[in-house]
Amino acid sequence: MAINVNTVYQTVLMILNKEQRGYMTPTEFNKVATQVQLEIFEKYFDDLNQQLRVPQTDTDYADRQKNIDEKIAIFKTFGSAIFTQITNTLSYFVLPTNDGYGSAVSFYRLGSVIYKNEQTVERLDRRSFYQADYSNITKPTTTFPVYLYENEKLFLKPISIQSDIEVDYVRKPSNVIWGFGVGTLGQYLYNSLPYDPINQQTGSVQFELHESEQTEIILKILLYSGIIIRDPQIVQTAAALVQAEETNKKS
Amino acid sequence: MATPNNGLITETNAQYYSGAQMFIADGGTTYASTFDTNLTFGSFDPTAPLYNSNNFKLYTSTTGGPSTFSEYVTSYTVIGNVITLPVALAVGTFVALQLKTETGGEFGARNAFGQVVQENYGEYSYIKIKDVINNFLVAYVGAGKLISSVSRTDVIFHAKRSLQEFSYDTLKSVHSQELNIPLNLSVPIPQDYVNYVQMSRIDEQGVKHIIYPTSLTTNPYEIPIQDNDGVPIQDNEGDNATGTSLTEERWAKDNSTLVDNARDNLTGLLLSEGLGFTGMYGDNYFGQRYGLQPETAQINGWFTINEREGKISFSSDLAGKLIVLEYISDGLGYDQDMKVPKMAEEAMYAYISHAIIASKINQPEYIVQRLRREKSAKLRNAKIRLSNIKLNEFVQIARGKSKWIKY
Repeated sequence: MAINVNTVYQTVLMILNKEQRGYMTPTEFNKVATQVQLEIFEKYFDDLNQQLRVPQTDTDYADRQKNIDEKIAIFKTFGSAIFTQITNTLSYFVLPTNDGYGSAVSFYRLGSVIYKNEQTVERLDRRSFYQADYSNITKPTTTFPVYLYENEKLFLKPISIQSDIEVDYVRKPSNVIWGFGVGTLGQYLYNSLPYDPINQQTGSVQFELHESEQTEIILKILLYSGIIIRDPQIVQTAAALVQAEETNKKS
Repeated sequence: MATPNNGLITETNAQYYSGAQMFIADGGTTYASTFDTNLTFGSFDPTAPLYNSNNFKLYTSTTGGPSTFSEYVTSYTVIGNVITLPVALAVGTFVALQLKTETGGEFGARNAFGQVVQENYGEYSYIKIKDVINNFLVAYVGAGKLISSVSRTDVIFHAKRSLQEFSYDTLKSVHSQELNIPLNLSVPIPQDYVNYVQMSRIDEQGVKHIIYPTSLTTNPYEIPIQDNDGVPIQDNEGDNATGTSLTEERWAKDNSTLVDNARDNLTGLLLSEGLGFTGMYGDNYFGQRYGLQPETAQINGWFTINEREGKISFSSDLAGKLIVLEYISDGLGYDQDMKVPKMAEEAMYAYISHAIIASKINQPEYIVQRLRREKSAKLRNAKIRLSNIKLNEFVQIARGKSKWIKY
């Protein structure tokens, strides 16, 4: 599923070197690639919001909401929040650092919070969190609990809930690495083995975005590389192509 | 038919009618109850006081035959609706979970006495308010729907408010209390009382006779003690000192002798003033000249609502009598009250939709009006359905149409 980092790097180099415009080092590429991946990833959420307000078609593969959701789904995961009691009246749940699939992940965006695997917990801002208690009718109960999300912690009401809280969330994409070793002639040799901080420090981390993003990734990296090598023609061409693709996606 | 198969019915016939669920041990230690009724657990130990708060009993048998079950009293625990035994039973052992019932059940000493099974009878005609809220959020809220997003707290508020409103004038009144009138002629207003529907005296045959509130007397809300100038006296804390109500005292002592005396006194007074002849005004005053006053033309007794004391007060002729008080609540008093007849379910969704759209800013007025009309129409439908008019019953009553109605 993942986009091969070597394919992208080689394509970028090929386009850049075609007319001897310049060269992009692996370190530069890794930083730009991570930046581009995050940029595209963050845009999904705004795009989804935009598409939710537009009537969609039911035809397979043409529903834009579903297509965007499919791209985000790669990063969707879940985990159990950990209860922490500070005082008799102050307690909260800490977000999981390992997800339900057993991987250590970086938390990116909070989705649904579920109590006892069946009841969604409603998210409130601080004012509403207090106000909910004012009305006897809307007071939170174990049937309809609520939470406040602050400082990466979940504060739940009623406070009798001390376990069985599961959170659905989106994890952050991993940093992209084009791993390499140095050859006998001083050339960079691509290392296709997966990166491991202990056993494979020169390994690679692939792009995690959906396969369909390969073109956009290359174009955006070219855009940044045009800035790096100070070639306005590259910047303009890449920007125009990115813009054209963007327009096509939303028209 | 007996096995639930993804329909709305989730209990087997045995669970519903007998309150019994049978398991066969498979080497595990947990047994999950699938009753609609949640398990209530105090203790596994029959000698512990909390044991009585259990709403079920657990039995085991190696063969599963009648009279072979014995109660399981080893230290098991219950979390949610899952019973966990300390050790696994032998594979193939029969385990019976019996909710408490009027008959005591069919297992062990047949002493699982209680009302838990009976309280679940007829529940299929209702939908719980939490299910109404969840259904509404699923079906009415979301992208591309009339309500794109709404706080669940708002839906809870409007759902509960609608239940209150429906309780007042749409739903059947199911609350009633059978009470004996004590010698002080007052009984406390029920805890979840909102308004009365009907008060009846029950005679020796069990037939009810409607009793009415009276306008002949009243229950004063404040009874300040006055000095000789009529000014209220204050106590040490600066509040008005209060006494007992003479109005209530006199009404409680009223009897036919006093009524006769009052009539004679009034007639005598008028005659002494030269204002008429015997039987004229005094008798008119008591309705004897121009016929009965319908309001007072009954002998079943009267009652008043005493807001000062939070009690219902009765006339002295009802002392020691049996009465039935039928009243309405708001449906939110107890968890088991928070349910709606299915015949009013749609009306409740319409109420919530309208309430949410009408309280949102920038909503087109034609949408608000459409939902308002829809709400009214569905409420009217619910009222007609719940009024329970059956054609053959109606015809039976209408058969008396040929009788002369005399006034």
